Amino acid sequence: MKWGSNTWVGGGLVGLAIGVAIFAPWIALTDPVMDANLMNAELPPSWEFPFGTDAQGRDIFSRIVYGARISLTVGFVSQICNSLIGVTLGLTAGYWGGWWDDLVSGLTNLMLAIPSLVFALAIMAILGPGLLSLVIALGLTSWSYSCRIARAQVLSLKSQGYIQAARILGYGDLRIMFTQVLPNILGPLIVIATLGIGGAILAEAALSFLGLGIRPPFPSWGSMLSEARDQIRAAPWLSVFPGLAIFFTVLGLNLLGDGLRDILDPQSTTRRA
Amino acid sequence: MLLVLGRRLFNVIPTLLAVIALVFLLFSVLPGSFISGMGEDGRTTIDPAVMERMRKEMGLDDALPERFAKYIANVATGDLGISFRTREPVTKLIGVRIWPSLKLVFAAMTFAISIGVTLGFLAALRPGSLLDTVSMVTAISGLSLSQFWFGLMLMYLFALQLNWLPSFGYGDGGLRNLILPAVALGVGPMALLARTTRAAVLDVLNADFVRTARSKGMSERRVVEWHVLRNALVLVITIVGLQFGSLMGQAVVVEKLFAWPGVGSLMVDSVFQRDMPAVQGCILLIVVFFLFINTLVDIAYVVIDPRIRYG
Amino acid sequence: MRKLIWLAVATVAITAAGLAAAQETPRKGGTIRMTAPYAASFGSLDAHTTPRAQDEIVGKSLNRTLYNWDSTNNKLVLELAKSVTASADGLVYTYKLRDDAYFHNGRKMTADDIIWSFTRIMDGSKGYPGARYVRLIKGAIAVEKGEAKEISGLKKIDDFTLEMTITDITDPGFSFFDGTTAILPREEVEKGNFANNPIGLGPFKFKEHVPGSRVVLERWEKFYKPGKPYADRIIVSLMAEAAARDVAFRNKEIDTSILGPAQYVSYRADPELSKGILEVAEMFTRSMRMNPSFKPFADKRVRQAINHAIDTDLIIKRLVKDKAYRAVSWLPLSSPSFDKTVKPYAFDPDKAKKLLAEAGYPDGFEFEWTTSQNESWGLPIVEAVIPYLAKVGIKVKPKLIEATVLTDILLKGEFQAIISSSLTGPDSLAQLKCFHSKTPRTACNTVMFNNAAFDKLIDEAGQTTDSAKLTDLLRQANNILYDEAPVWFFNYNKAVLAYQPWIHGLQANPTEITHQYTEDVWVDDRSPAK
Repeated sequence: MKWGSNTWVGGGLVGLAIGVAIFAPWIALTDPVMDANLMNAELPPSWEFPFGTDAQGRDIFSRIVYGARISLTVGFVSQICNSLIGVTLGLTAGYWGGWWDDLVSGLTNLMLAIPSLVFALAIMAILGPGLLSLVIALGLTSWSYSCRIARAQVLSLKSQGYIQAARILGYGDLRIMFTQVLPNILGPLIVIATLGIGGAILAEAALSFLGLGIRPPFPSWGSMLSEARDQIRAAPWLSVFPGLAIFFTVLGLNLLGDGLRDILDPQSTTRRA
Repeated sequence: MLLVLGRRLFNVIPTLLAVIALVFLLFSVLPGSFISGMGEDGRTTIDPAVMERMRKEMGLDDALPERFAKYIANVATGDLGISFRTREPVTKLIGVRIWPSLKLVFAAMTFAISIGVTLGFLAALRPGSLLDTVSMVTAISGLSLSQFWFGLMLMYLFALQLNWLPSFGYGDGGLRNLILPAVALGVGPMALLARTTRAAVLDVLNADFVRTARSKGMSERRVVEWHVLRNALVLVITIVGLQFGSLMGQAVVVEKLFAWPGVGSLMVDSVFQRDMPAVQGCILLIVVFFLFINTLVDIAYVVIDPRIRYG
Repeated sequence: MRKLIWLAVATVAITAAGLAAAQETPRKGGTIRMTAPYAASFGSLDAHTTPRAQDEIVGKSLNRTLYNWDSTNNKLVLELAKSVTASADGLVYTYKLRDDAYFHNGRKMTADDIIWSFTRIMDGSKGYPGARYVRLIKGAIAVEKGEAKEISGLKKIDDFTLEMTITDITDPGFSFFDGTTAILPREEVEKGNFANNPIGLGPFKFKEHVPGSRVVLERWEKFYKPGKPYADRIIVSLMAEAAARDVAFRNKEIDTSILGPAQYVSYRADPELSKGILEVAEMFTRSMRMNPSFKPFADKRVRQAINHAIDTDLIIKRLVKDKAYRAVSWLPLSSPSFDKTVKPYAFDPDKAKKLLAEAGYPDGFEFEWTTSQNESWGLPIVEAVIPYLAKVGIKVKPKLIEATVLTDILLKGEFQAIISSSLTGPDSLAQLKCFHSKTPRTACNTVMFNNAAFDKLIDEAGQTTDSAKLTDLLRQANNILYDEAPVWFFNYNKAVLAYQPWIHGLQANPTEITHQYTEDVWVDDRSPAK
């Protein structure tokens, strides 16, 4: 087992982000919502406000710290949704085959063809802006990868006769799926999920930028970026710090995912690139 | 070959229909409508009786299957409907936007391929070197960037601070306005391509190395080389194709940031205004583009490796 | 010798005076380059079909209405008529129309055109936005319902004399200066392709429309104001992004630009740019409406407490960057019924807490505040208010909705509190009628206001023909609104227009600063556009 530098650096960054999110109340300097003093609006970084203040007079550093909670939650939860949907569909499609497989494959193709941003936009427009709709929207858009992997894995096991053998032994379908197939997919799945969390965080930023942000006034890194855009000339620190927060977190996730791939999935069935 | 192409195109149509149906369904459930949205700028007050009349006129009260059938029939004849917002044919509305979108996507892809493939290639030639590490770090960073944040930073540095390039807009269609948006859009694909190329080229080199180690004779080695090279090419082309195809849809954010008059920003604006015909038209275009590129990639496969068949 | 010196001095003096005067004399020629800032496209150039403020920017140059708005004296003036006489009961108006108004196709305007235009607007199957104004005329509703083919209240006395009978006592000018009641030529409209080939009575005629980009207009040589318009051409460019306008303005590519709050700050700070800023208090009131169906809001003391708890002045100064005027009551500053002696609600959290305790909420309460993303009267404002209300014990739950849904929710009353921007002028009576108890919510009484004294004042105001008395009655009504506080009074919009040093004659139009009467606007030869 090769624990490369990827895994360490990546793991470190992700750990930092998670730590910040969990210990936010102790790390942040002020309350991210209530401690707003309009007299302090848009001040550049200083000792009192390490990352400066925003248009409402709130400390950006504290908002980034609390923002970690929302951004990471969005990332993790939507990925869990993705994986659940994808694995269920892919597993059952490969296992039972037939018309169900055709349907799922068709659906997967459809999802790949529709621009994911539009789909997410539409869902958020239906459900209204907010944390829940964001998670649902993101959770519904990228399940195709895990679906494909799960299905491919089942088919491969099938062709190797494992499933046939288990059936002969009298195992029920569900048991086979849980005890034979699932353990084999776990590796690649974790890799996909890790990489997907980063994708979800980036998607949240993009959707916030387009105006479908998180339930206000709680800060999310994406909504902080979208608020900052018009002030880029006058107050660039409004954009720089949230953006860096996103960058380092996603970087950590990507490095970690790469590292995990070397460990859990050396045949790189998950290698899209 | 023609048969393959024919079958491919034949498969495209149901996908298209399904996409249109899905979009239709989605947007019919959206709350708020174009009409109630007209008062949204806070400057115009709409008479409720007027709103009622407009709904009837735009056919928003007809039954859903009826509207869908009418739409499909129209699309088949090339009529994408009339935009709610501008009362113009959607084809005209989108028509002006196609060229800027294509320009942006092509420019981004050019940037991505030229930098990405080169970087990946060079990195593979010297695995483990400083160049390799730097390239791959750059690549993974590129994948971790929020597109519009990167674009915003580029805008700040090159346009607002250094004043080398215009900060947004299409301008007169020249190269200067294209650079920043293309780079912002292309950095993701560039990163992906760099990694893919590196992996693919490494495969080639390793196979080569292994073969020479076994020294089983020139001709066989050549065959193997060519085979692995072909696989590598297939891999790279797959990625290029996938990225290219989805780029038009992904360009939305960059278009909005740089006020680039492309199909993506039109789509987003139309979604917010509930201008359904325009939204449907844009999505149609984006999906057609995606499927078209996919088909091109499939053709490329066949050209590169005639043994690849579609069962 | 002395005579020579005097001659020299006189010459210099006269030349100097001449030069100074020359600067003030409008130059004939040149191109006016305006911007349309509200959306990325024009709706339609057929003035009857579109209610959008953006389209009227072009409409004001292309078309003419019966009345215009005189921004210098802040009142309505006749435009297509030379004079008007009102009957004693205030319901019959006789207009002597201009006989020198020509459509861009060369034909002279007559009373028939006005009758035809208004009849077209009342076509019930089309839902034209101007119908709400033309409904004022007796018999218009019958046409709308399809019961009559002609508006009985419009009578042609002769080619240039028109008699109009209205149903309510009010100045018809309020209804007929709006661009949706423009007078259009029948034969051109009936040709079919009118929106792509608009013909009107305005000082400029249509040249071209590049969708998504701009509209170009050319001087109409036969315009009825002698010597006007001054400019040869007008180009109205679509620029919805404030940042885009900022760059174009600084590059001298456009002559006028609407400023958002961020640019307002930077332009005011710039020594050169600050010289070319036109400000006017527009007739829009921003407020947070409180729905009385939500129990705490039914109590007047709670509503007043909220007005006292928020430091509105600071929010306007810091967040809105001073790009608004503090709202006192519902009617804006420019209304003749605005009471200058009334002071806006003072920032007094202690008083707020006291009032809340009196009303039975010593520990405060929680409510849901519906808002859109709008930067001037949306989410950022809500976020700024949250801490203030928290200090008096009131917890706010913001509910973010898309702007397209705002109107729906307002009219359906599906909110506890909602922040919005409302038109509050120029017809003060019509605006205050919204708070009459008989006005349904779906019309505009979204806070279900019900106050007997208020109703009485409005009823009386609707009957009087004495304009001084009208102003006073409305002033009293407006003050009742202040006291009852059905809303949190936030601000009146300040419209800010930046203009280049070479453009003159711009009007501070409080009904909408982008609606310029372009026959009075001219550019001197410093303009880079020729």
